Amino acid sequence: MRIGRSIGAAVIAAIAVVALAAPGLAPQDPYRSGVAMLDLPSATHWLGTDDLGRDVLSRMIYGARASLAIGIGAAAVAMLIGVPIGLVAGTMRGRVDLALVALIDLFIALPGLVLALIITVMVGANLRNLIIVLGAVMWPPIARLVRGQALAVREAVFVEAARATGGTQVWIIRHHIWPGVLPVVAAQFSISVSFAIFTSASLSFLGLGIPPPAADWGGMVRAGYDYLAINPWMSLAPGAAVSLTVMGFYVIGTSFK
Amino acid sequence: MRAPVIGRRQALAGLAAGLLASRVVHAATPTRGGTLTVGLANDAKTYDPIFSVQFTERHVLYLAFNTLVRYGTDFSIQPELADSWTTSADGKRIVFSLHPGVTFQDGTAFDAEAVKWNIDQRMDKVVNSPQRQLLEPIVASVDVIDRLHVAFNLIEPSPVLFSLLGERPGFMVSPTAWKQRGPAFASQPVGTGAFVLKEWVRGSQVVLERNPTYWQTGLPYLDRIVVQDLAGSVIGVQRLMTGEIDFVSELSPTDVRPIEKRTGIVLNPIKGRWYFTQWHVNTAPFDNAKLRQAFAHAIDRDRLNEITMRGQGSVSDGPTPEGLWWYDPALKSYPHDPARAKALLAEAGYPDGFAYDLSTPQVTVFQQVNQLLQEQLAEVGIKVRLQPIANSEWYARVVDGTTNFTPTRWTQRADPDGLLYILFHSKGFANTMKYRNAQVDTLLEQARTVYDMPIRKRLYSEAQQLIVRDLPMVPLIFGAEYAALRANVGGFEWIPDQIPRFRDLWKTAN
Repeated sequence: MRIGRSIGAAVIAAIAVVALAAPGLAPQDPYRSGVAMLDLPSATHWLGTDDLGRDVLSRMIYGARASLAIGIGAAAVAMLIGVPIGLVAGTMRGRVDLALVALIDLFIALPGLVLALIITVMVGANLRNLIIVLGAVMWPPIARLVRGQALAVREAVFVEAARATGGTQVWIIRHHIWPGVLPVVAAQFSISVSFAIFTSASLSFLGLGIPPPAADWGGMVRAGYDYLAINPWMSLAPGAAVSLTVMGFYVIGTSFK
Repeated sequence: MRAPVIGRRQALAGLAAGLLASRVVHAATPTRGGTLTVGLANDAKTYDPIFSVQFTERHVLYLAFNTLVRYGTDFSIQPELADSWTTSADGKRIVFSLHPGVTFQDGTAFDAEAVKWNIDQRMDKVVNSPQRQLLEPIVASVDVIDRLHVAFNLIEPSPVLFSLLGERPGFMVSPTAWKQRGPAFASQPVGTGAFVLKEWVRGSQVVLERNPTYWQTGLPYLDRIVVQDLAGSVIGVQRLMTGEIDFVSELSPTDVRPIEKRTGIVLNPIKGRWYFTQWHVNTAPFDNAKLRQAFAHAIDRDRLNEITMRGQGSVSDGPTPEGLWWYDPALKSYPHDPARAKALLAEAGYPDGFAYDLSTPQVTVFQQVNQLLQEQLAEVGIKVRLQPIANSEWYARVVDGTTNFTPTRWTQRADPDGLLYILFHSKGFANTMKYRNAQVDTLLEQARTVYDMPIRKRLYSEAQQLIVRDLPMVPLIFGAEYAALRANVGGFEWIPDQIPRFRDLWKTAN
């Protein structure tokens, strides 16, 4: 587990560095077209060029920014919605809990990717909207998990003692329940990041990602699909980057168990 | 047998010579029998010609039906169901002599009555055929003279009528079957064509079988044609390589890269699909002529052709590609001149730059064109945001005006009136630019009533000059596309409308 976490952390740190230092690292302008279209990897273009003659490696390096922004942003939005709902439901019990659980179940019943597709079509695809949409479809499992943890913690003797001595619900949540569920939230955050990156890549593949000419991995995989027989690296390289990033976050997330 | 195969260099030479459709000779001698399997991104909604609207419906309609006249490979008008025709001195009455002994696939006779019924049907307000808007301004009435002679009485002289009768309005439907079958006619059409539509499984395939009583002696060669639905050109190319299909078209110069040098596959190029980018020319901000000129000067059309068409298309200076009789070599659009573009932008009142959304339908070539436009316009201080839009929604929004600045493309029509009137006349039904120029209207109205070719050519030259000067759109490029065939398929020739005709093809043993 420890080793897994270290490897995951190293991978994510490396990708974060690439994202931050993209302008310095990218050998060429990722948006500059050229007349050498779909060239195979060469000394000038290490991963070849795309259908508009742009450098695939440079676009991949810049693509790390969009992918990380979407992953972390969407996971944060999901946490902001899911954690409070889970905490309140788990701590309050009774009618409030029933109502919130019904709401959570309702959203869990809807498949996330389909829901994201529909909302994206309605609001239009751009970086900000994608973060919000993905956050909005990812919160229910988080809320359910947090509620379960909160239920367990609220039955603990120290919580009962706090209640007996007149502690308010808010005070109890903040001082007893929240610290109890924090490790689970941390693990779930990491897993949510990987889910968001994966789903945004799927949306991009379906043409609902960040609009061109922005470099994003999912969009690059889709654009390269038509040219697999000519320059496969146009798809394979960003596809590998998505896998690596998703795996990195996932390994970190599961290591908390 | 070894078939002579056209190489890429020859194909390019053909394109460079400015030929719209190049003739390719392969599987040389016609052979009877066999099944031709065609791959097609099929958007058909009906195979009733009277209600046909979608582009690919015609791929099948040209098999199941004959038209009154036929287009040659140079868009000349050739006899088909009509053997010949005469025009009256005032040009307002055209009498067609019909081919004798033709029967519909249901056994009923094709005669002058059937022609009259077909045209009346399309012009009937109650039937509400989409072709009514094409025929109504031209045809006053149709008279049956005798069984094999039918007269079209025209409102004004109309050279345009012939081109219409080689297309949707000219497909002759069996009146008996149409009345009997009702809505089922859409999937069980009956014409005089060389093939009978046997089965249409939507989203999967259309099966057509040889019409044993076909009227053209010795034709068709094939026993059966299967039109398979394709999800995209990549899949089409794969299936062609494995031999699952014999023919696929609408391939881009990039799509054919993996099969350019492959033996057993023949490429046949066609050039002329017109790409331009349009806007609402009479409302702000694009009612500003200097702003439009700034855009036009900023665009490097050579580079668009170089990258999106691998240099195999050509730069467009106006609506008409070289090779068609109404092409005017003297017509020139605004040249690529970024400095001039910047100056014009400032004169137009945007010294600090200009920003606008450019609609981007989910079509690969439009996405490529738009990204290049974005790059080129940015160089002169025009910031374009690409607004993605689903392809299914896009044209409806162009028509209802919610989409303003967008790329568009049109295939060429057999008569100049076909594109120029619908796009640039103030009453043209596809004039989504809302372009209005009284002079252009007059020229286009005059040109559609004159039979004299040199006079028509002059009128269209003048109209195109005004259109190109006014910039209701910026002409970009003429695209290059390919049909790819198994080398044992013979007889294929492009007609510049880019609808492949499979009727007279044959297939030899491998």
